Amino acid sequence: MEAAGIAAAPPTPRRRRARAGSALQWVRERLTTTPGRLVLTSIVVVVGAACFGIIATGAEQSRERTVSAARTATEPLLVNAVNLYAGLSDANATVATGLLGIGGLEPQAARNRYLQDLDRATGALTALTRGAGTASAQASLGAIADDLPLYSGLVETARTNNLQDFPVGAAYIRQAATLLNQTILRAADRVYAIEAGRLYGDYRTGTSSATLVALGAAIALGLVPLLLAQPYVTRISHRVLNVPMLAATFVLAGVSVWALFALTSEQRSLAAAQRDGSDVVEARSAADILLSRAQGDLSLTLVNRGTDISDPLDFAAVLRVLTTGELAPRLNAGFASYWAAAKYVQGLEGGGQLEAAIRQLPAVAAVSQRLDRDLREEIAVAQDRFDHATADAASALDGLWLAIPLAAVLAAVLALLGLRQRINEYR
Amino acid sequence: MSRPIRHLLSLAVVALAVAGCGTSDHAMHLALAALETPTPTSPASPASKPVTCTNLTSSLRPPATMPVPGAMPQGSFMRAIQRRGYLIAGVSAGALDLGYLNPATGQIEGFEIDLVRELARAIFGNPTGHYRLLALSVPQRIPFVNAGKVDIVVDAVTITCARKQQVDFSTVYYDAQQRVLVLSSSHATSIRDLAGRPVCAAAGSTSIDVMQSLPDPPKPVGLPLGADCLAALQEGTVSAISTDDSILLGFKAQDPNTKLIGQSLADVPYGMAISKAHPEFVRFVNGVLADLRADGTWRRLYDNWLGHIRGANPRLPPAQYAG
Repeated sequence: MEAAGIAAAPPTPRRRRARAGSALQWVRERLTTTPGRLVLTSIVVVVGAACFGIIATGAEQSRERTVSAARTATEPLLVNAVNLYAGLSDANATVATGLLGIGGLEPQAARNRYLQDLDRATGALTALTRGAGTASAQASLGAIADDLPLYSGLVETARTNNLQDFPVGAAYIRQAATLLNQTILRAADRVYAIEAGRLYGDYRTGTSSATLVALGAAIALGLVPLLLAQPYVTRISHRVLNVPMLAATFVLAGVSVWALFALTSEQRSLAAAQRDGSDVVEARSAADILLSRAQGDLSLTLVNRGTDISDPLDFAAVLRVLTTGELAPRLNAGFASYWAAAKYVQGLEGGGQLEAAIRQLPAVAAVSQRLDRDLREEIAVAQDRFDHATADAASALDGLWLAIPLAAVLAAVLALLGLRQRINEYR
Repeated sequence: MSRPIRHLLSLAVVALAVAGCGTSDHAMHLALAALETPTPTSPASPASKPVTCTNLTSSLRPPATMPVPGAMPQGSFMRAIQRRGYLIAGVSAGALDLGYLNPATGQIEGFEIDLVRELARAIFGNPTGHYRLLALSVPQRIPFVNAGKVDIVVDAVTITCARKQQVDFSTVYYDAQQRVLVLSSSHATSIRDLAGRPVCAAAGSTSIDVMQSLPDPPKPVGLPLGADCLAALQEGTVSAISTDDSILLGFKAQDPNTKLIGQSLADVPYGMAISKAHPEFVRFVNGVLADLRADGTWRRLYDNWLGHIRGANPRLPPAQYAG
């Protein structure tokens, strides 16, 4: 037969056609008798319930995984990426401001703050190295790990020279700041962008309408055969009620409504987690980082005295972002007083009154630190909101993973029971 | 039968509407991306066209009688400064003992700063509170004085024929020599041993031009500030620094593991740079410098700031006047 098949037309389509033909034949035979039609109905209803169980469980599981990932993996990593960036920016500002302390001596508070900043950054770096998934994030983290010792080495060399009243210390601060701004923080920004992309990916998946469409389709596949089967069974059996089938319908409809409400409420909570939580964390962190950058640049213009090339430009860029960017309307009034103070100091330096500018610097640094404290409090509040909202999102889905397959099995069994009674009437 | 389906559909529509709310604004990324400024590059040393001039170090003759401090002549630039209440000078803030920000005091101090102070004394009678200092980088010096952002630049400016076309110079107030500083461990004994090797100087300075004009030139490296060169030498990214001995001796004082090698590469006369719009101010400054030489103040300032590292016998050529 196979040889004949090769010689003649391709065998497989014909065989398939033959098999399809015989299946069609089987169905056609069943359609001619009432019990046969009831057997076919049972098959369709059971397949529909199975489809419901599989697709709805898949949809629910996708949401549950996403919420759990956002809660326990991607958002904590993003917070670490922010901490890495913010810790390093603040370290830079603290060093530049602290080394301008009159008398060559860095104030102890500034030294402590610098060490805390480094601690915050290296802690975040460790956590990110453990958790960051992508190769490009790992590459950037590796680059940061390589450069951080160089950075702190330059800072210590600057301190040592400063303690001996050697002006070359300023050159080392400059080098350290350049290494940080041009290399380390750019790598930190790449890590941040990658982690932010992952969290946004989770938000998209966790609020995706495709999941709801899939759930809707699953519900239709489960319910429509049941709902269509019942009037048909009523017509051929002349009985108004088929109790098991009605029960199956209620079970399926009940769990469907539950699933729809659960998924929409999860999605609402996740959207709130982003809107009131992580987006606020990000916006406030951005403001905090820009503030550190501004304070660092302001101090560096005083430290570097006469390096027109990069730093005042940078300060101007920060100023532009904070005052005209989309962050501007979200900053509290404290920023206005910071800018006034910073511009006053810059004006003193630009007008040839460097000593007066340096004397004013601690006051400006104090304003910046007060703002930093406020921002960090707001960040903590927003992080709290994120934690609560994602906990809500997770608990909205509680139990659904078990309820959907149980309901699908139960509905199939009940429907079979109901149809079986009718089929048995013909035996 | 159709009613529950319609109900389910409406539920789905509500759910879709909720899904649409989850948009992100990438606030931090947007804000930080806006910070991306181009990597600063050290300004290229302007192509030095060979300009020649006679009497390089000669300047305008002082007035026959110097005005009394606090009573500057009507219509003069000194009068404008007096009315403003302070003299503003462009200076260095990183050259130890010449002009540097002393970390111990938070003030710019040094030989050149005291000269600015003497100028303020000559204009106002009492210098305190009557002068301001603006730290400048090498490429800023001449544009700043020509734009009127500073009245005068006292910042180790070498008098050259090319610069004399852009600004007026006072008489020479200090005569430096361009020399070479290496680490003590270096085997080089002169600039010839450093041919092709990286040797640092402040970008835009005449030290770079001098190095380039050598028969067997090193590879000049221009960094924004002179102090950056000392850091680069300590870090091993350059083999040597070649600039004015006045600056090199300041570096040597900050790092005892360095040494000066070879003979002078060039004579480096320092003049105070003043806009060509104010010849009366040039004459006035020359008068002040002549007085400082005559009454011993110059020598006292030299001994105070530079004598301990530059020796007890400074070279100061006599002031030359023309016109």
